[in-house]
Amino acid sequence: MSGDGAVTNGTESGITVTVKSFATFREVMETQLVLQLPGGATVQTLLAELTARYSGLGGMLFAAPGRLRDYVNILKNGRNVHFLAGLDTPLDDGDVIALFPPLAGG
Amino acid sequence: MQETGENERYRRQAAVVGEGGQAALARARIVIAGAGGLGSAIALYCAAAGIGQIRIVDCDTVEVSNLNRQILYRTGDVGAEKVTAAAEDLRALNPGVEVEPVRTRITAGSAASLVEGVDLVLDALDNFAARYALAHAAWQRGIPFIHGAVHGLYGQATTIIPGRSPCLRCIVPAPPPDGATPILGVTTGVIGSIQATEAIKCITGRGTLLTGRVLFWDGVRADVEILPIQGDPACPDCGGADR
Ligand SMILES: [Zn+2]
Repeated sequence: MSGDGAVTNGTESGITVTVKSFATFREVMETQLVLQLPGGATVQTLLAELTARYSGLGGMLFAAPGRLRDYVNILKNGRNVHFLAGLDTPLDDGDVIALFPPLAGG
Repeated sequence: MQETGENERYRRQAAVVGEGGQAALARARIVIAGAGGLGSAIALYCAAAGIGQIRIVDCDTVEVSNLNRQILYRTGDVGAEKVTAAAEDLRALNPGVEVEPVRTRITAGSAASLVEGVDLVLDALDNFAARYALAHAAWQRGIPFIHGAVHGLYGQATTIIPGRSPCLRCIVPAPPPDGATPILGVTTGVIGSIQATEAIKCITGRGTLLTGRVLFWDGVRADVEILPIQGDPACPDCGGADR
């Protein structure tokens, strides 16, 4: 944690993130939702929560358990988690997470 | 060069782009990569708007299953080379536009010569191998690249300007699977029209471009959202540029 000396009163404080989905992900989940997650949550924590909520999403996100399909884009405040720490990317209170599969047709 | 009567042809858009803007369109040279669904909408609107030189590239012939979305072609064109039929159609629409049909496949080998001598690249392709090759060739030469792609009733578009936005690799780091995507023709019309709008703005210097932002069109919900997107700070091409 940030170690700024805040008193937590013995309970881990949670975070709130906004999740937005685009394109074909909208066929299996809502277009936007707000989620409470425990402090210390990562992208992995978030995806576990989402796949538990939306049947059909897991197969679109993962090639095998724990292995994200490489073309799935997950942006944390506009930054692709591919360029951060992937599934281990930590989430912060107020983050906006966008999920989309790039489209290819023309 | 554009002949007499051209003032009348562009009368209704003169108030939008101005005389200088119209002259800039007439001087502009673009390449439209792909003469399919996106390419049809882009080419028709760019020719109608008076973009002076249009190179259009595709290696295919017209098939009957193209006709739900590829509005450059008529039923009688089935079996013809796409770029030949497209050039005829565009010249008939606007004889003042110089059309250069190029029948070839877009690869890392051909990309450099295809972007040679143009001011702008319009991505109307259907696969990322060709998109990456063309986007890289454009980036290296400092040429803006206007990306579009569709699936079903969904579409995406973004404008890539070397030094001012992330590159295509950063926006789409890994290619989605290729294959015959389901597409409703109107979706290529929506996204192709957005790409043509970006081209006209880029050439005439008007408005705000989709640089560093991806526009997502959702035809199921009639919803548009624009997401800011940053590149990879370690990217050898763009260094994560997001200005
Ligand atoms: Zn890049």
